[in-house]
Amino acid sequence: MMIDYLYDGSFEGLLTVIYKHYHQEKAKGIYPLDLYQVNLTVPYQILQTNEEQAEKVYRAIQKKISYHDLRRIYYGYLSNDQEKEIKVLKYLELGFKTGPTISSLHGNPVVFDLQSIEKKVSHEVHRLKGLIRFSLLEQDILYAPITPDHDVVALLATHFCDRFRHENFVIHDTRRSKALLYNQGRSVIAPFEYEKLPSLAREEVLVRSQWRTYFDTIAIKERTNKKCQRNFMPVRYWENLTEIF
Amino acid sequence: MNESTMEKLRLLAEGAKYDVSCSSSGTQRNNQGGLGSASNAGICHSWSKDGRCISLLKILFSNRCVFDCAYCVNRRTSDIERTSFEPRELADLVMSFYRRNYIEGLFISSAVEESPDFTSERVLTCLKILRQEYSFGGYIHTKVIPGTSQELLHQIGLYSDRLSINIEVPSPQGLQLLAPQKKPQDIFRPMRQITDTILDQKSLRAPGSRAPGSKAQSSKDQDLAITPFNSDGLPALRTNGRFVPAGQTTQMMVGASGETDRQILLTSEKLYQTFQMKRVYFSAYIPLVDSPLLPSLLSKPPLLREHRLYQADWLLRFYGFTADELFNDDHPDLDPDLDPKIIWALRNIKIFPIEINKASLDDLLRIPGIGRISALRILRQRRVCRVQYEDLKKMGVVIKRAKFFLTCNGKYYGGKDVIPEHIRAEELRSAKGLLRDDLIQSRLKPEPDPQISLFEPKHVSLISPTGFLELGGN
Repeated sequence: MMIDYLYDGSFEGLLTVIYKHYHQEKAKGIYPLDLYQVNLTVPYQILQTNEEQAEKVYRAIQKKISYHDLRRIYYGYLSNDQEKEIKVLKYLELGFKTGPTISSLHGNPVVFDLQSIEKKVSHEVHRLKGLIRFSLLEQDILYAPITPDHDVVALLATHFCDRFRHENFVIHDTRRSKALLYNQGRSVIAPFEYEKLPSLAREEVLVRSQWRTYFDTIAIKERTNKKCQRNFMPVRYWENLTEIF
Repeated sequence: MNESTMEKLRLLAEGAKYDVSCSSSGTQRNNQGGLGSASNAGICHSWSKDGRCISLLKILFSNRCVFDCAYCVNRRTSDIERTSFEPRELADLVMSFYRRNYIEGLFISSAVEESPDFTSERVLTCLKILRQEYSFGGYIHTKVIPGTSQELLHQIGLYSDRLSINIEVPSPQGLQLLAPQKKPQDIFRPMRQITDTILDQKSLRAPGSRAPGSKAQSSKDQDLAITPFNSDGLPALRTNGRFVPAGQTTQMMVGASGETDRQILLTSEKLYQTFQMKRVYFSAYIPLVDSPLLPSLLSKPPLLREHRLYQADWLLRFYGFTADELFNDDHPDLDPDLDPKIIWALRNIKIFPIEINKASLDDLLRIPGIGRISALRILRQRRVCRVQYEDLKKMGVVIKRAKFFLTCNGKYYGGKDVIPEHIRAEELRSAKGLLRDDLIQSRLKPEPDPQISLFEPKHVSLISPTGFLELGGN
């Protein structure tokens, strides 16, 4: 009999589902608990995340498939794709059969599906490395709000913690109410909401207007091509850009 | 920071915007103890209204110029407001932008204020403030002023990730005419120096290049003795920095002087070979100056021509083509309607169709509609299982283009007519519907030599929305 598994939305939770899929009933669907709509024809089970079982699956993926595919699965998990869980499951089912050659099967629909999701996520990570805009707040804190499509805060950490090693900064995913908080050497990703942000540092207004001046000046009027601009920098990212107003 | 920095920023960015390069790629560097790092792939931070990426703060150090190059907005005789940065003023501006993640680094260029060495000296001071005082680890691209002394150029190279010297005019005659104060050797000598120094530096890292008992080598080992001017017998410099890790680039104007596409691409091919350039950029000439030597102020920039040149440039750099293959004596310019790869394929239709499951990488790359990524995917999958026709789309192959030129497991999918004219008509039909059928018909007839006027380019409206992809920061 096949059932729907409901998990807590964590990566370990998803790996626990994979474990159950192999050791108990097969999964028909996999859903985060808070998004599930009860379906009368399919029985469901709410799974408690089990660290030990998750760890076993994690190691099995690394050993029997590859680290590269483990990474691909993690990226898939971080995406906002509605069917990401089942796509991950199918990928793993195939992967445990083929081993590390799975990522060479470019024509296989199962591989194609997860590869496309992975690409979307890594593309957004790359974009945000450029598109994040910090504002300098009082008390010398750099603050950047973001509203990414995918849950990419964790994937931005290495880059920004190295680049801004001696700064204090907050990268705040306002859509998911979480943030990467960095304080000179220590970083943490945690649920984050603010009641009141410190106000802008005094020089912030001037620097912003300098940046806007530069942004406007550097465009060549004779080559204006706003469609091209939007292709590279989709409008959904504009709300957090200081140069566009 | 004050009001006047703002005014300088406006004036000096205005003067720098015609430089094409904004790429921040080619260096991988972690934080150096201060602010900033560099990422090998480069990072774009924004896109301006012309669709070009903003990666670096692209700016002139000064627009006070003693040169009088006909095509340039900053030439001596031009009636514009003049100003210069102070070295620290610019360094502070870079830091305040970088800290807010506006930019990936600095692209500094300058007009020739007083003399080449005077200007380079000031630029060097600014770079030293950034690198030494602020431990700035971001990307720095410096444009070399023609005529700068060897010693200064070497110093600047030690603080920069990339250097460039713009050729601007692709032929010596044109240069003589348009930029009488620039001599070809002022451009090529520093290029040679940069290439030689990079090669020297590399040879010091190569296996077997260390004396017995010296430290083991590693790619992170930066404590190298570099002999910069060995050919001239000048003393060796000992330095902790790496010289221009991201290599050198150059830029040529398209459509300002009368060169054909063939001449332009042969020149750039030579530049890639001789100086190991990372990139040769093209800039469609935008008429800013009313001069009898140049296209009229009313002519539009040849954007489509520039786009085709970049496509051809890609073929040279990533697809194993040579410049000569793209032209024949009847066609010294690229076809404005179709991309150079499909034109090449139509002229060499005899080698097609190519069997996907047998062809080498080089042959796969010759198929229109197959790029490097899809070609490599085909090779990867072939090691495990055969490639089916249905797989190609998932691999990123553009089927509507590629199907005429390939077979998959022996089967041809392009329909009955394989004559080049048919394929050409199909291609034109799919060219965004901008061409009418009668135009297609007229295109199918054998054409006389296309006498494309360089100064009044046709078909500018055909430029595709992604036409500036090549200008991106990566």
